Amino acid sequence: MTDEEVIVLDETIHQSTRLRIMTMLVSQSEGDRVAYRFIQKTLGLTGGNLTTHLRKLEEAEYLAIAKEEFGDSRPHTWVEATSEGRRAYGEYLANLERVLGVVVR
Amino acid sequence: MRRSDGEAALTPEESWEAIHDTVDRVRSSMYVAGSATILLLWGAIVSVGLLAVYAIVTQAPDPVVNSPWTHALLWGALGVAGMAGSAFIGHRATSKVAAGDTARSAGIRVFLFWLAIMAAAFLIPAAAGMWNAEDGASIPRVTVGIVVLGYVLFGIMHRPAIAIIGLGIAAAFYIPSYLAGDAALLVIAVAIMVVVAAGWAWIRRSGVL
Repeated sequence: MTDEEVIVLDETIHQSTRLRIMTMLVSQSEGDRVAYRFIQKTLGLTGGNLTTHLRKLEEAEYLAIAKEEFGDSRPHTWVEATSEGRRAYGEYLANLERVLGVVVR
Repeated sequence: MRRSDGEAALTPEESWEAIHDTVDRVRSSMYVAGSATILLLWGAIVSVGLLAVYAIVTQAPDPVVNSPWTHALLWGALGVAGMAGSAFIGHRATSKVAAGDTARSAGIRVFLFWLAIMAAAFLIPAAAGMWNAEDGASIPRVTVGIVVLGYVLFGIMHRPAIAIIGLGIAAAFYIPSYLAGDAALLVIAVAIMVVVAAGWAWIRRSGVL
């Protein structure tokens, strides 16, 4: 890294809640889905807060949201990182490592 | 510091910390999914087993019925039922939180952990030569100790509340077994149900699915 080089971190991901959401999704194997309620409970978020951040990430095409009906019970909402989301997260992580001067492989 | 969109900015160090914290949380939450219900199931199984042993000891003092082998058969059958029930609950809980290889692998790891603990709980007394009329009565003390060790280890790794519940189970078993005399089995059965019911409520309140 030269002195003049400016490293820009992806603003969509570089926010506390969205970074945690993306980390959660990307830590799953490719193609794996995570339940909306699991994200909410694990990260200790309110429904409204989570929905707002999911929408923002969905608009950036970093994740996909799918609803599944189970007869009379409540529909399950599943969230999955898209390949674009995985790519953006990988780039974010690489840039973060460069900013911090750490090498993790 | 605020960003252009009004949201609080993260420093790179905070981002790094958030990533590691989230990975740990996700892994632990996946491993403990369903643990509250499984805890309750085992509390019920142990209580039923203790009440059955109490009934055998007091109502059927016949040495054929009241032999270590009857007790072994009873606990073996309850153990198999418990493992099957735990596998079913664990599978159902894990498939509710995530779908795919990661969740499946987490479920299998947890199942194998507890399978190893249960196997140890049965095999260690056997290897120590305790399966005989003289030492048979001491087997539950060893078995409970091993199961409690399982709770403590699992709790240390994933959720401290589970370790504390394990210590509660140990207290519910060992204190009455030394102090309650002839009524020990009854007192232990009730005390364990109370501990696991409280533990169930505690784990559910802590956000575990």
